[in-house]
Amino acid sequence: MSASQSAVRSRAEAVQVSRALDWMILFTLFTAVLGGYHIHYMLTGGDWDFWTDWKDRRLWVTVAPIVSITFPAAVQSMLWYRYRLPFGAVVAVMALMIGEWINRYLNFWGWTYFPVNFVFPSNLIPGAIVLDVVLMLSGSFILTAVVGGLAYGLLFYPGNWPIIAPLHVPVEYNGMMFTLADLQGYHYVRTGTPEYIRMVEKGTLRTFGKDVAPVSAFFSGFVSIIIYFLWHYFGRWFNKTDFVDPADI
Amino acid sequence: MKTIKDKIAKLSFVALLLAVTSAMFYTPTASAHGEKSQAAFMRMRTIHWFDLNWSKDEVQVNETVVIEGKFHVFSGWPETVDKPEVAFLNIGIPGPVFIRAGSWIGGQLVPRSVSLELGDTYEFKVLLKARRPGDWHVHTMMNVEGGGPIIGPGKWVTITGSMGDFVNPLTTLTGDVIDLEDYALDNVYFWHALWMGLGLAWLLFWIKRPMFIPRHIAITSGKADSLISAGDKKVGIAFAVGTMAIVMASMGSTNEKYPITTPLQAGLMRGIQPIDMPETSISVKVEDASYRVPGRAMQMTLTITNNGDSAVRLGEFMTASVRFLEPDVLEDESGYPDDLLAEEGLTVSDNSPLAPGETRTVEVTASDAAWEVYRLADLIYDPDSRFAGLLFFFDEDGNRQMIMVDAPLIPTFI
Repeated sequence: MSASQSAVRSRAEAVQVSRALDWMILFTLFTAVLGGYHIHYMLTGGDWDFWTDWKDRRLWVTVAPIVSITFPAAVQSMLWYRYRLPFGAVVAVMALMIGEWINRYLNFWGWTYFPVNFVFPSNLIPGAIVLDVVLMLSGSFILTAVVGGLAYGLLFYPGNWPIIAPLHVPVEYNGMMFTLADLQGYHYVRTGTPEYIRMVEKGTLRTFGKDVAPVSAFFSGFVSIIIYFLWHYFGRWFNKTDFVDPADI
Repeated sequence: MKTIKDKIAKLSFVALLLAVTSAMFYTPTASAHGEKSQAAFMRMRTIHWFDLNWSKDEVQVNETVVIEGKFHVFSGWPETVDKPEVAFLNIGIPGPVFIRAGSWIGGQLVPRSVSLELGDTYEFKVLLKARRPGDWHVHTMMNVEGGGPIIGPGKWVTITGSMGDFVNPLTTLTGDVIDLEDYALDNVYFWHALWMGLGLAWLLFWIKRPMFIPRHIAITSGKADSLISAGDKKVGIAFAVGTMAIVMASMGSTNEKYPITTPLQAGLMRGIQPIDMPETSISVKVEDASYRVPGRAMQMTLTITNNGDSAVRLGEFMTASVRFLEPDVLEDESGYPDDLLAEEGLTVSDNSPLAPGETRTVEVTASDAAWEVYRLADLIYDPDSRFAGLLFFFDEDGNRQMIMVDAPLIPTFI
């Protein structure tokens, strides 16, 4: 077979090869994003995602969407711009969450015996689905950033509340009030994570009384819009084929 | 010749691979906490732990161990370490092999960070409940913001039984009795499985059809608009609306199920009560101090004045958790960790009772392998070569007085 001849001999074979390539590319994309996104999220969202006693109404709500909208924006950019495939956000978030669950179950529980109900990851899927649907319906990155990015921030807290609410039930312990999540953090000793490192309930949103989560979510949504733009362009840049010389193909 | 060289090269490579692979199977347990690696000046001049007691050294799963004692916050706190204005009474164990069932400073429960005052002495207690079987090195520990962990003495405690038997029962303020060990775990799995299922459904909707090559060809040939059909848009809208509906409905049902929830509790605890230490009637002036590197011994020249009304003798010098005892005056009966106890490590040139009103200058030598084993000798490499420690004097009735010493240290190498 010479270089100018096709590698396939029939349409059926072409379809078969195309599908095989689909799965190979998807698998590669999934695992590459799993690794990259996981490291990024652990470095930027880290403890807020590791421990229930960091999942508060202010900083977790603010930080987690802002630092997690990054890879979804970049992968969306690549999959939409090149293939009109509107599942970039979901595939990125699914990869991240599968990686996180492997980490939490095997490392946090399997190696160091922290209970899973103390170390489960945050749920990012509702925002990712809406982000993908907005892109598909609008076909516009600007609208996706503005509407989808805002929705991504807004949906984060309510999307996680059913999971964390049981751990916010109060308990009296040795004469002090805790939430069950606080007590998990106190009981299950983290030698290298002293209590003062915990960044929760800090800030100046005191005029909103107990209703600070929606305010934090709105702020997070606004910043997510900006971060979406930034990472969209990272995705575009990373997705370039300028480095491939057409003469070599 | 070339063939032999190739064979040797190949075999060497295989041997290297085998060596690397077999090294992976050598994974000794890391049981201690690097306490010897911590800079000597930090251990000598920050928190001094004393009068420590571990209630048991072997427990069953679910049984408790109490570690209690006192710590003195050294007034000559080093400049290079932030002051303990934000500090946390921790416990040095390898992860949650025990749960911390309680911790108190000055009788106050301290689940959060506290503010400590230089020069004060505090009583503390930590209650641990055994969770995971094994032999564990259990240290006292104080984390200081801007200073890092300041680790105290450690003692081996054995846990027997099965971790599967561990329970952590609690009664919430809403009256529910729960086991915190696996509380709400089914709920966590359910919601994560549900959302992962929805995410997977969205992915399957798209990946069941040809993806990359045909769609890329369509885009490059100007048919991008044909790739998203009206049906696709309807499915997309259904997913988005469904997502928001599930989020809102689940939030509503959760609020009905858990009508009483509170925010995470945080904030610095101030006003921790120190011990009212009695006025000391002994004054000690360090005339000079040197560390003899070959002999692993520290020598101090002290001028001691007894202003009290009973004669006293020097019984102990303690620094960085290592206790040097003068055996004629003091024997340890607390079960203090052997490796940190130099039972005959303190010699005094004249340790006859120092009468009331008397002043005497003595040579005090603290010598033991612990200087080397615990890397205290590394003090001579610190940027601020000073030592500090506690001196304990005893009168005939066993009454004790604690004196802090802090002075420059000169190393001698010959």
